[in-house]
Amino acid sequence: MRELDRVLGELVSRSEASAALIIDKAGFLIAQTGDLGEFDSTTLAALAAGTYAATQGMASVISEPNFTCVYQQGENFSLLVRNIDLESLCVVVFQAHVSVGAVKYFANSAVTHLAKQFEAAFQRDPSGKVDFAMLNMEDSATFFRKTG
Amino acid sequence: MAIINQATRELQVKIVFYGPALGGKTTNLVQVHEHVQTQEGHKGKLVSLATSSDRTLFFDFLPIEAMAIKGFKTKFQLYTVPGQVIYNTTRQLVLRGVDGIVFVADSQYEKMEENVKAFQNLEENLRTLELDLDSIPYVLQYNKRDLPTAAPVEYMEFLLNNRDVQVPAFGATAHKCQGVFETLNMITRMLLHKYINESNRVKQLV
Repeated sequence: MRELDRVLGELVSRSEASAALIIDKAGFLIAQTGDLGEFDSTTLAALAAGTYAATQGMASVISEPNFTCVYQQGENFSLLVRNIDLESLCVVVFQAHVSVGAVKYFANSAVTHLAKQFEAAFQRDPSGKVDFAMLNMEDSATFFRKTG
Repeated sequence: MAIINQATRELQVKIVFYGPALGGKTTNLVQVHEHVQTQEGHKGKLVSLATSSDRTLFFDFLPIEAMAIKGFKTKFQLYTVPGQVIYNTTRQLVLRGVDGIVFVADSQYEKMEENVKAFQNLEENLRTLELDLDSIPYVLQYNKRDLPTAAPVEYMEFLLNNRDVQVPAFGATAHKCQGVFETLNMITRMLLHKYINESNRVKQLV
């Protein structure tokens, strides 16, 4: 995780972006760096994953094997979603005046590095198991409580 | 696939509300959002990607951080799919990485065919993701029990809960928040039970 944070931090500082996130394609937030201000990073992760998935659907409609990148241009902030590997994506939030070319350039090298990190992590312990014995089933009986 | 982050001691889980059009999937999320007890800042915004006539176009999304269990923060992401038949590709996208499913059926007699078709569609879409209902925990919710045209629960059980392994089913009137939390707590419990028994089905980040 520290290495992921380091790569994201380097991406943000080199490209002059505001923030960068690593997300799972199911919509989970894995890591984030930078100043997201009042942005809700959890929701941003879910929506970015959905947008990317929809873009892959469009790619298949026009017989394009893969779109690896989605760019959303805004008036104040823009957004770049870049594929990392089969499971994850990199999302970069940057101010509209920042060059998208620079963001793409630094994002490309960052995702190459991140993909290697993920691959190394999975090879290190492909059957990685977690001990959930600490979870007490009784605790979940009323996991969510209703008000009033 | 759930994600566990050992560094931040977080468990992230995705639950999808599935079912026929206008069955009450979005209403379930709205009720959870309005009535759930959470610590301040633990409940996210309910995001709806809907058409101008308030029909779900892509999905509804509600992130909730539940109470910590033995030091683990548990973050739940609740999604709905669009129920309309034409949006099948979208349903497949939303199902990606699903950990648990709540199938929201409409109790009205005239909706039974739609219920069965939606259930079959769920099984087909899971197959495209190389998943099936034997490996994904799911519960059934028979919604709209307050309507005079509601079919008996036994009939709905016969139609929808007639597999080798029967799953928990709840009668509900979602717009009055009846049965909503019972359903959500049961799928949560089943998910955690599954993780305790099969702790390898999570992506672990150290």
